[in-house]
Amino acid sequence: MTIKVQRLSKRFSSFEALRHIDFSIEKGEFIAILGPSGCGKTTLLRLLAGFLSPTEGTITIGDQEVGNPTKTLPPEKRNIGMVFQSFALWPHLNVAEHIRFPLQHHRFVSEEIKQNQKKRMGDVLKIVELESFRTRMPSELSGGQKQRVALARAIAPKPELLLMDEPLSNLDAELRMEMRSEIQSLHRLTNATILYVTHDQSEALAMADRIIVMNNGQIEQIDTPTEIYHHPRTPFVAKFVGKANLMKGKWTKDCFTPDLIPSIQWPDIGIEPDMKQLGYYPIRPEQLILTKEQSSNQAVPAVITSIQFQGKEMHYNVQVLGEEWQIQTGLGDPFDLGEQVFLEIKQEVLLSSTPTHMHYVY
Amino acid sequence: MQISTKENRGIMPKRALSSLFTWQKILMGLALVMIAIIFLLPIYRLIALSIQVDGSFSLANYTTILQDSKTWSVMGDTILIVLGSTTISVTLGIVFAWLVAYTDIRGKRLMQLFIILPFVIPSYITTLAWTQFFGANGLYEKLAELFPFSLGSVNLYSMGGIIFVLGFSHYPLVYLLSISVFRKIPREVEHASRVSGASSWQTFRRVTLPLALPGIASGGFLAFLANLDNFGIPAFLGIPAKIDVLSTYIYQQVVGFGPTAFERASTLSVLLGVIALMGTFLQWLLLRKSKRIETTVEDEKARFFLRKSKVIVEIILWSFLLLTSLVPLLAMGMTSLLPAYGVDFTWDHISLKNYQFVLETSPKAKRAIGNSVQLAVVITIIGVMIGTMFAYFRVRKPNRWNQLSEIVISLPYALPGTVMALSMIFAWMEPIPGWNPGIYGSVLILFIAYFTRFLILQVRGSITAVLQVDYTMEEAAIVSGSNSWVKWRKILLPLLLPSILSGAFLVFLTALTELTVSSLLWSSNSETIGVVIFGFEQAGYTTYSTAFSSLIIIFILLGFFLLYITQFLWNRKVARTR
Repeated sequence: MTIKVQRLSKRFSSFEALRHIDFSIEKGEFIAILGPSGCGKTTLLRLLAGFLSPTEGTITIGDQEVGNPTKTLPPEKRNIGMVFQSFALWPHLNVAEHIRFPLQHHRFVSEEIKQNQKKRMGDVLKIVELESFRTRMPSELSGGQKQRVALARAIAPKPELLLMDEPLSNLDAELRMEMRSEIQSLHRLTNATILYVTHDQSEALAMADRIIVMNNGQIEQIDTPTEIYHHPRTPFVAKFVGKANLMKGKWTKDCFTPDLIPSIQWPDIGIEPDMKQLGYYPIRPEQLILTKEQSSNQAVPAVITSIQFQGKEMHYNVQVLGEEWQIQTGLGDPFDLGEQVFLEIKQEVLLSSTPTHMHYVY
Repeated sequence: MQISTKENRGIMPKRALSSLFTWQKILMGLALVMIAIIFLLPIYRLIALSIQVDGSFSLANYTTILQDSKTWSVMGDTILIVLGSTTISVTLGIVFAWLVAYTDIRGKRLMQLFIILPFVIPSYITTLAWTQFFGANGLYEKLAELFPFSLGSVNLYSMGGIIFVLGFSHYPLVYLLSISVFRKIPREVEHASRVSGASSWQTFRRVTLPLALPGIASGGFLAFLANLDNFGIPAFLGIPAKIDVLSTYIYQQVVGFGPTAFERASTLSVLLGVIALMGTFLQWLLLRKSKRIETTVEDEKARFFLRKSKVIVEIILWSFLLLTSLVPLLAMGMTSLLPAYGVDFTWDHISLKNYQFVLETSPKAKRAIGNSVQLAVVITIIGVMIGTMFAYFRVRKPNRWNQLSEIVISLPYALPGTVMALSMIFAWMEPIPGWNPGIYGSVLILFIAYFTRFLILQVRGSITAVLQVDYTMEEAAIVSGSNSWVKWRKILLPLLLPSILSGAFLVFLTALTELTVSSLLWSSNSETIGVVIFGFEQAGYTTYSTAFSSLIIIFILLGFFLLYITQFLWNRKVARTR
């Protein structure tokens, strides 16, 4: 079973929330939809759930077309489960009743589960490790436990597609890390197809099989986390996911020359053709080093504008050719605010560069 | 992502099936027409009647009435009474709200219960209680004898008496609206003022008071409206003393059945309605401009510590509360146990024969209880269903049509009761001009009038209820596979019920003890409890009216107790997450 979205658009009166979205998901995949707030990712999720109907395009789950501009299958008739940002637990039902609810009402619960409802409830409680909490009310649970009840409720009927709407954003930082690995193991255990919406790029990179990066209602790039990180195809992806600094300039063959410093020539370190086409050289903060003296003519002059000590490394903001760049370096030999420095691409980055970049095709 | 939730609050997908879509439109159109007919048409007819003479347009009614010197003296008395009583309400309301919200006095919950008490008891019963307290051989005389000097007697049947009882009946309005605003003022903004060098008094004057002003102002306007359109108090105290205010004057026009009674009454009603609506409009203007505090959390911890004077303040407050809310009711209860008015209250005089008369002997009283209970039950049930349905659409699918509808539904409640009742007569005596199905003159007019007037109470209660349930709870139910029937039965109703119930309880109580509207719309065999108590009192049967009123009080207290128990049990089960 696959999920297929074709030329999907959604307009709210004059505002175009989504525009020509195309992608498909294989069975068992963990897909993250990543983008800043307002990019349309939640709209996309709600279209898949059936809370909204498309203005244009189609949504297919399995072999059933569930949504198009003339007919929308309501959520309760779709084979889905959903985890909400606010958990959306029902304050008047206890943990066990939350899990029983979809087992009683979900239309796609298999005969086997229906006949062994008790066993399924036990299994699900075990998966989320809430066996000893079955009679607790939501108000008697901690944030993490609430999240697990929400997860349990969603997976209980074994839906074909599991939708998650920023499920970790209501938890504190430490718990978030813990729940990440729990969701991962839940994915392994259930083998469910998961669509996970988030604005946190580290969450997406850490958990997903593939990431759909969205901006302004459009898809920027769909790829594996490593591809997205190392080979961004648009300036937005480079900046949003890799926090990359962008140098504008000219590409001639496999050589880049910044517009403002014609004397410099940087080699191709696996930059995507699309970026070359646009005349960009994206470079992430950890790919740069700072020096006090100009060691080669490839170094770019810069001024330190802010310093942040991070424990195991230093983060510098520098002024480069009128732009603010970020650089992460080791702790040795710190720089001062306002100091005149030079920045260069790290040697190992240059050495590992392969002009013909790797590209996973899905 | 914010956009998707904001622009599309509605959680049901727009099932673009075109036939269903038009059905929805037709239903919505029908609902709008019904709302206009039920809630707007009566007001239109009332105004129409006031601006015509012998079927053609004329302002003669207004010129006649405005040239009548009696009109001006009634207006003058009305304004004096309303201003005086509103001043009392606002002063008491603010003082109590500040003390309960800010200081560390103890027993605030119980205190709040006593503050609200005069508000939930129908004002005519409060009046009756006060008259018994100050009456011949009443508790006041007994208390006054304890003092070495003479306190003098108090005559409530006067301007001062009316102002006093009105002011004391309506200060809970100011209290309730002010206290929530007081509590919502973040203590940080006050601390910021202190850190910036302001003294605690300067902080109160320049930070606290301006921030609390919206609450105080809206409470003050509500008290103003309540004092303006109150009928029970000026009817019980003013009519015997020949003091007329607009609401009782209109009533007397109608029951006087003069040749031009209805024209005069409708003209006076429009004048009173205009004054009332001007108040509402002014309040709306003021609240629109005022800056709302953004916090929604009420901070219930004390901010101002009274230290040594705490006990003294507590004693003063409790004496005041007991004296103004409980003691008059006791005085009324004592009268109700006496065989005849004015007899000394001693053990061998006590009897329950007044209660026996009300519950057994008097066919009128028995009929009234039957009518009022029937009215209250039916109106509550219909109100819960229609009001909740409307509230659900209003909250989940807000649009300008249901926003407008809400305003229209609230109009009959915002209008003074006498005006509203009069408009009901004009609308339903001949629903289609020339055809009189006998609605006016039967109990049916009361059903229609109560529904029209009190629906907004349920709508408000249900809106609060729906707002408390996050829409994702519904979505979670839908994604879990439930259809809308299961969603309502298993998720929404259990979550909404406690708040819906308190709205329903308010409707039930208000309908059960209603006086103003029914005093104009009742006919023989369709008396209500309020009408009969008023009748007993006017005929001088004070022992019967006090017995009947005491029964109502016992019933109200019992109802509150039950509601409290229900909500307590519920909260213990659910233990609200938010």
